[in-house]
Amino acid sequence: MPGRRAPAAPVDHSLCRRCQLSEPAITVRTEPLCAACFSRYVSTKVVKRMESFRVRHLEPGDERVLLLPLSFGPCSTALLHVLSHQLKGQAEKTSRTGYKLHVLHVECGNAATDSLLSKVRERYPEHVFSSCSLSDVLAVDGVPELFQQDPSSGQLEQEQGGSSPQGSLDSMFASLNSPTARDDLKQILIQKLVVAFAKQNNCEAVLWGDSATRLAERTLAETAKGRGASLPWVVADGDMLYGVPFYYPMRDLLRKEITAFASYVEPALEDIIVSEAVKPAVSTKNTTIDDLMKQYFESVEQEYPSIVANVVKTTSKLQATSLQGVETQCELCNVPLDGQAPERSRLCYGCIRTLPHLSS
Amino acid sequence: MPPHLCQLCNTARAQVLRPKNHARICANCFIATFERETAETITSSNLFQPGERIAIGASGGKDSTVLASVLKTLNERHGWGLDLVLLSIDEGITGYRDHSLDAVKRNSVEYDLPLKIVSYEELYGWSMDQVVAQVGKKGNCTYCGVFRRQALDRGAAMLGVAHVVTGHNADDVAETVLMNLLRGDLPRLSRATSIVTSTPRAGQPKASLDGQPAAVSFTNVKRSKPLMYAYEKEIVLYAHHKKLDYFSTECIYSPEAFRGSARTLIKNLERIRPESILDVVRSGVDMAKLVPDADGNCKGACGSRKATEIEVKHDGEEEEEAGGGGCGSGNGQETGGEMAEMEKKLLQDDRAEEEGTETHISMPVKAVNGQRHDGDEKVGPPAAALVGEANGQGHDRHKHPPMSTATTVPIRTKQEKKAGRRSGRDAPPPRQVLGQCERCGYLSSQAVCKACMLLEGLNKARPRTGIEVGSAGG
Ligand SMILES: [Zn+2]
Ligand SMILES: [Zn+2]
Ligand SMILES: [Zn+2]
Ligand SMILES: [Zn+2]
Repeated sequence: MPGRRAPAAPVDHSLCRRCQLSEPAITVRTEPLCAACFSRYVSTKVVKRMESFRVRHLEPGDERVLLLPLSFGPCSTALLHVLSHQLKGQAEKTSRTGYKLHVLHVECGNAATDSLLSKVRERYPEHVFSSCSLSDVLAVDGVPELFQQDPSSGQLEQEQGGSSPQGSLDSMFASLNSPTARDDLKQILIQKLVVAFAKQNNCEAVLWGDSATRLAERTLAETAKGRGASLPWVVADGDMLYGVPFYYPMRDLLRKEITAFASYVEPALEDIIVSEAVKPAVSTKNTTIDDLMKQYFESVEQEYPSIVANVVKTTSKLQATSLQGVETQCELCNVPLDGQAPERSRLCYGCIRTLPHLSS
Repeated sequence: MPPHLCQLCNTARAQVLRPKNHARICANCFIATFERETAETITSSNLFQPGERIAIGASGGKDSTVLASVLKTLNERHGWGLDLVLLSIDEGITGYRDHSLDAVKRNSVEYDLPLKIVSYEELYGWSMDQVVAQVGKKGNCTYCGVFRRQALDRGAAMLGVAHVVTGHNADDVAETVLMNLLRGDLPRLSRATSIVTSTPRAGQPKASLDGQPAAVSFTNVKRSKPLMYAYEKEIVLYAHHKKLDYFSTECIYSPEAFRGSARTLIKNLERIRPESILDVVRSGVDMAKLVPDADGNCKGACGSRKATEIEVKHDGEEEEEAGGGGCGSGNGQETGGEMAEMEKKLLQDDRAEEEGTETHISMPVKAVNGQRHDGDEKVGPPAAALVGEANGQGHDRHKHPPMSTATTVPIRTKQEKKAGRRSGRDAPPPRQVLGQCERCGYLSSQAVCKACMLLEGLNKARPRTGIEVGSAGG
């Protein structure tokens, strides 16, 4: 930039823009940074988002527990790493911490996560760890009732001759008419389960690992699924549609930045991260709306990182409808039904799209 | 496999698979359903008053041809008593409109609707051919685009018609919703999803149209989109089964980067789940209710009747019609770097934010293609970054005078001087909150609207005699 920003000494473009000592390892929004400066950059962005959980905001004697759902993906794992670091720093400085972490892994049918969880537990022994299975959602208040009225599900259970939670969950997913609907339902059920767990375990808030890229994807995906009305709750920090506030401390970082960060951490985070399988390109039959948006933002992120961030910033400006005085909420996703659903429906338009056979 | 029977009448062979609900129906049932649904849209949103004069923006393409046909049919069927007129714009590019205007002329005869073709020359004193002769091939697209945005309103006003309907369909609206999410423009997202956009509070123009009835001023024309819930695919099918006569062009106009991106996304979404086009439209309508106004109040949900005001505050320049035109000389070249430019600007904003705030000035920042950032929500980048001429980007769009709309933030002396000089030159005193062109009265985020700016340049370079609509003291 012209003029006033020019530093006293000329910038050596072959070195890290910030410290001018080390070789750059990565270019962050046009700035070449070394691994150390880059890691500091990432931590600062995350810690800044944790303002409201600082030590001085905590009454003496009080304890504040935050729930961190860990998927073993790069984003939630990196979040766990950064926050662990922050808490260590706090403990060293003030001998107490602003909050404690409870880490929860929700198993969605992929095996081998047990050994991963114990590895993570070994590495960050200071936190409480739990895991549960997605089918546990059937024990959450209101969920069995939600699916019971499905005329087809009773049949399916009989056919399979079993009534194990996993079996009924599987048949529920099998009854959905598209991969997009399955994706959508899975995301909602995970949220429901996490919220129920947070309430049971007195967690004050949920810290999700979603990056700016992920939030931008979700903005467009939810829009395409007819869920525009719930966007303010999807992307805003501290809002609660489910009764427990959600926070996204990684919201100022791109997915590619977080992935790079995870690869610089020592000892490597890689052996506690499950990288997602690369999905084939758009327009195969099994592509979901979420896949489409993911592929789209993967390319936008390369060339136009600020545009990705700006989508999230823009969506955050939408004002959530006040939940006070709302008479009915969608039984699946909790969005207020007033104006968002056909008359006497239990579900909002977005959820009807996912569960058409349950709409009445 | 035996042919499917129509799900509605159970007698005729199904010929149409409806994208919105997968129903298989016959051609007759499809036509009846399409018409009924359009009528429902019109009546449920009270689009028309009995006996109202309506100008149908007619380009000769499929959307406006279907719109004209359906409105004519429904008007007679339901006895609405509407006074329908076809209104076409001729940019004055030799040969370019010949075929499409021929189609409109045939429609005018077939539907027995009067047709008024209004030329750029009548509206602005300049045809595009003349503009090209003046400014050359390069850059004339700017003129064409800016002139087109006002042309329907101006043309309608010339006819004394206060309501223009356009053929925007669900695909267009969905595309615009995604596009405005991508470029972070909530006011435009709101506007795109309103079935009616009107600017009734803009007041009277300072220079009225010469010799025209004063009853309708072009700053006061209502616009609506009766087909905004109709799939493009169904519009094509309707035109096909009704054997409508329209001019189909392969659009030679390459969309700007954001629109192009959004268009591709919509096409892919449609492939994954056809319903998602209307789902995007629904989401857009719902989101529009959650867009805060300048005071931070929400616009729909709290029931305050501020909606119109918000629309007025927004800069009023209509979206370019998706696929509705283009002067055909490579618009894409000029706007292709749109995403890159926005990226650059956002990055500058970020840097400025990180560096502290003492040098910020608050102003409506106008980016490429009329995209506007809300001055009240976004802290402007350092003034140095805004002086486009300084780094060799001396396009007109960088020369907007700083119009202070909101709070005054400490500004460094250097910028103050600069700002002072600039407002001295061509800006009105600050505090002009509502954007209205001081020359022609059209809604504008700048003191003088783009059309008037461009006309001034043209007229200065080659003074003309005769009526110069819209220019100062004409
Ligand atoms: Zn460094
Ligand atoms: Zn719902
Ligand atoms: Zn039929
Ligand atoms: Zn003007």
